[in-house]
Amino acid sequence: MGETMTVLLIETATTTCGVGIMIDGVTEGVVVDRNRNHTEFLTGGIDEILTKHGLTPRDLTRVVVDRGPGLYTGLRVGIATATGLANGLGIDLVGVTSLQMLARGALEAGVRGDMVALIDGRRGEVFAQHFILGETAVALDEPIVATPLEIVERMTGLESVSLWGDGVSRYREHFQTLVNATLVPLEIPPLEAGLRLGAEAPPELVVTPLYLRDPDAVANFTTREQRS
Amino acid sequence: MKVLGIETSCDETAASVVDDQLHVHSSVIESSLDEHRAFGGVVPELAGRAHVMMISSVVERALVEAGLDPHNPAIDAIAVTSGPGLIGSLLVGLAAAKGYALAWGKPFVGVHHLEGHLFAPLLEMPNLPWPMLTLLVSGGHSMLVLQSGPGSHEILGETIDDAAGEAYDKVARWLGLGYPGGPEIDKLAQRGNAKTLQLPKSMTGEGYDLSFSGLKTAVVRATEKQGDLAVEDVAASFQGAVAEQLLRKVRQALEKNEVKALSLAGGVAANSALRQGISKLAEEFGIPALLPSMQMCTDNAAMIAAAGIYRFQHQGASHMNLSANPNWQLVDVS
Ligand SMILES: [Zn+2]
Repeated sequence: MGETMTVLLIETATTTCGVGIMIDGVTEGVVVDRNRNHTEFLTGGIDEILTKHGLTPRDLTRVVVDRGPGLYTGLRVGIATATGLANGLGIDLVGVTSLQMLARGALEAGVRGDMVALIDGRRGEVFAQHFILGETAVALDEPIVATPLEIVERMTGLESVSLWGDGVSRYREHFQTLVNATLVPLEIPPLEAGLRLGAEAPPELVVTPLYLRDPDAVANFTTREQRS
Repeated sequence: MKVLGIETSCDETAASVVDDQLHVHSSVIESSLDEHRAFGGVVPELAGRAHVMMISSVVERALVEAGLDPHNPAIDAIAVTSGPGLIGSLLVGLAAAKGYALAWGKPFVGVHHLEGHLFAPLLEMPNLPWPMLTLLVSGGHSMLVLQSGPGSHEILGETIDDAAGEAYDKVARWLGLGYPGGPEIDKLAQRGNAKTLQLPKSMTGEGYDLSFSGLKTAVVRATEKQGDLAVEDVAASFQGAVAEQLLRKVRQALEKNEVKALSLAGGVAANSALRQGISKLAEEFGIPALLPSMQMCTDNAAMIAAAGIYRFQHQGASHMNLSANPNWQLVDVS
């Protein structure tokens, strides 16, 4: 292995904003803000973590960004910053999903079997994806938008299931009715797992947010047209 | 000095390189307008989504077209619109600007979108005489501004309800025309009789304040009462009344203030009735009329870069924690 890999992670999918750095396989993640102020604190947080490790942006070889699902504005701020940084430097850009990050975090924490990643989707819904964790994390379906009750119904028949993410804490009253479930509420997807996930993934030309919903106006317009 | 400008306050994603002699080296503009047409107005969530998709390619094109290395451009600063505008759109440009600033180790400065519009005429007409009176009319703003020099502005009056462009959009929608309403109404008005409808003239009395909401209501009432009106005549009457009000206020300002030039800025500055009227008024007062090209009237990043150069030279860089301010008032820029 000749080249050293220096990876930066940008995480803005939840109300908590984080950054991470991976130097020769060694990772560190830092929460930079907990109050949805991604715009204000993200760049300063990146600058700080680089300085702390004696690095400048030119030392980076790759930028990894959480492309969602999650807070729309947060995702756009994170992806725009990551894109500016990676394209400005001419280095690799990689998008990982918040749900993949949660699954990878659970896998690395030793969880095995059924696992559901849950990100708060607002409007009484969660963004969710069902994984089976064994040697790797294997997704059983595509990411979906669902109500907590729909998730509870789907999980009821399972022998045991582990639920991870900020969607767990947001709708705890629903998920704690599941006797077979282990609840792991996390305010932010695991940063160090995200770095390892992003370091392994192939680079992309453009990273686009994973919204999982049509924009409101489009949804309304479609409904209106169908009615008339 | 060379500055990269970035503009994403509404539905245009734009980037441009301008130097301190106000020479434009590149100006790239992409628009998501087509996606909004069906809704009769800009849908904020659609605009935000489009900006994320386009921002990096627009910036890269602006750098390459200016002959700069997109990975290490010889620029001195980045200027970005940080307000006013749609919050979800502003944040994309601002976040990207911060990413580039960090990558290249360059300072960045947040620019007021309307101050950008005020700098637009300077990019096409060097050595302007000051002070200057500017009529700034767009989809979101309508105001009369007295400028004693670049970056020094006093708002004489502004709309107390709808912006002129907004009134055009609303009337166009009422008439069953497409969006945006300005060009549609302007086109029809060429073939219509402006004297067909008797529309109210003075809405805001003696001051410089503007008002277009009553005009829109008057058009609706008149066409409801009289169903057989030709759309060309309604368009001409409405356009005539808008121009009459704006030009009357401009005349009033010219009479009371010693100015050496008259300029027009903002998207509605593309309007033919307004351009003709401003030219005539300037001629009457013996001063030059500065009518920027269509591309410089509508939202672009060259004007943001120009205003950014001024702000950067006079106040220095913005802090990395700068946020977007969707309601930033021009009077608060100094
Ligand atoms: Zn504008």
